[in-house]
Amino acid sequence: MSESTEPGQGDPRAPDTTAAAGAVAGAATRQDNGDVGVLRHLKPSGRVHVPASAEAGAGNAASQATVENPVFSCRGVSVFYGPKEALKSVTIDVGRRQVLAMIGPSGCGKSTFLRCLNRMNDTIAGARVTGTILLDGHNIQDPAQDAAQLRARIGMVFQKPNPFPKSIYDNVAYGPRIHGMTRSRAQLDDIVCTSLQRAGLWDEVKDRLTSPGTGLSGGQQQRLCIARTIAVQPEVILMDEPCSALDPVATARIEDLIDELRESYAIVIVTHSMQQAARVSQRTAYFHLGELIEVGETDRVFTNPRHRLTEDYITGRFG
Amino acid sequence: MSRRALRTFYNLLALSLSGLATAIGLFFLAAILWTLIKNGIGGMSLRVFTEMTPPPGSAGGLLNAIYGSVVMTLIGILIGGPVGMLAGTYLAEYGRTSRLATVIRFVNDVLLSAPSIIIGLFVYELLVIRMGHFSAIAGAVALAIIAIPVTVRTTEDMLYLVPQGLKDASTAMGAYPWRTITSVIYPAARSGIVTGLLLAIARISGETAPLLFTALNNQFWSSNLGAPMANLPVVIFQFALSPYPNWQQLAWSGALLITLSILVLSVAARVVVSSLAQGGKR
Repeated sequence: MSESTEPGQGDPRAPDTTAAAGAVAGAATRQDNGDVGVLRHLKPSGRVHVPASAEAGAGNAASQATVENPVFSCRGVSVFYGPKEALKSVTIDVGRRQVLAMIGPSGCGKSTFLRCLNRMNDTIAGARVTGTILLDGHNIQDPAQDAAQLRARIGMVFQKPNPFPKSIYDNVAYGPRIHGMTRSRAQLDDIVCTSLQRAGLWDEVKDRLTSPGTGLSGGQQQRLCIARTIAVQPEVILMDEPCSALDPVATARIEDLIDELRESYAIVIVTHSMQQAARVSQRTAYFHLGELIEVGETDRVFTNPRHRLTEDYITGRFG
Repeated sequence: MSRRALRTFYNLLALSLSGLATAIGLFFLAAILWTLIKNGIGGMSLRVFTEMTPPPGSAGGLLNAIYGSVVMTLIGILIGGPVGMLAGTYLAEYGRTSRLATVIRFVNDVLLSAPSIIIGLFVYELLVIRMGHFSAIAGAVALAIIAIPVTVRTTEDMLYLVPQGLKDASTAMGAYPWRTITSVIYPAARSGIVTGLLLAIARISGETAPLLFTALNNQFWSSNLGAPMANLPVVIFQFALSPYPNWQQLAWSGALLITLSILVLSVAARVVVSSLAQGGKR
């Protein structure tokens, strides 16, 4: 994992984005001194204000927000719901074939950030996203980028299992069908079978593919949703508290599954369970009141948090 | 009187007042039904369904009026149903809280409560005057205009009931909104939308005023949409006001017939809802 604040090589980014990234890196350095107040370098207008000391922060080893060859490269990402700033200039990379866990108290902006990555915030009236989010070097915020096309490349699993009121087969076949991925029924059968197998659900449902997906148990429904997501072979899977509605057994199965899926996909998971973050992720990001407080390798964040807010939260002292 | 006794008294008072109000409402409903059945059932015979409306004094039935009502109601719902459904879909899924959607919603509510005679006059001005004569198609258009606001409202309400999680799931799969609507939202809201359409049919099949200005009436069998067409409400209106006993009897029978059809439709709507709701859960 690189300690560099420079983004992935050859990213066609505008110069002002670099400055914004520097500003955030600079802020992150100061943040390590425990001074959260200085973090408010965003003016209400949402324009990034670059402090004079911004360049000094760039390249500082203290920031572990970036990785080499990232899938997602986010620089100074802010989200506004009307006048309210729900996410404040977040700079972070998502690495390939690894799990990034996002933890933090309710309302800290972790889900809001997750929804930026597949532009789901577009569907909320009054939501506005600023900053740069690069997926494989391409700005997904670009108005010319079609949101539906983008979402086809980024899977999402929600907090509450939400299978369509269709058969198990049709649930998994939904994505391949809407994207016209298959030419024959046999091909579609193959995708459905493979996806269910990879989601660890095949053995339980292979004899009742035509029965409704809504008739499965909660844990099975969530695995069905994961099968539905991987059927379109996305590059990244976003998970928004995927286990919070499940019992411990079903949770363990999903966690095992996340571990297996990591071999093929980048995964970003929002979780309220610190144990879960520690179990499934390689990197952990801690959010607090809309700000990214700390991000680093999971072991390091949990054993040796650099910020007092992170430490308070993971040790349960958070009030 | 102690406070507790006072509270018990108020509670009893409120209970008796609301009970009385319910009883008054139900009494008139039952009285109407009873009068209809008492006067209408006697005239119910096979003739009603097989013979045309007769001249005064001779025997006959209501066949042309029943046929005309069915035809105009069907055309009305075939025009008004899709328009109302699509408009309701726009309000619930595309427009939502936009200014345009807010204005449309308000106008729709006004239209929903507009007296149907106004709509009859509007279509009279729009079609009857231009065509130079009354016609079945003008009647169907008037019924369609009455069906639209009902369908808009029920469709919109039913689409709101579809869980946001389902819509999000489809959107996150990369589906365009229209695909999400047709593949996920409509199937999930199917029973509600069907109920809305059935209720719209029930509403327009009893409308009299708009047909009086548009389709008028026809003593004879006619399947020509460009010509005046008989229909139950207007026949009832004319026959009930007439001095001829056989016409009056047919008016009673027609009134009973229309009431029973609407009753059947409403029951059917409920059955459809419950069976589809169970089908979705299975």
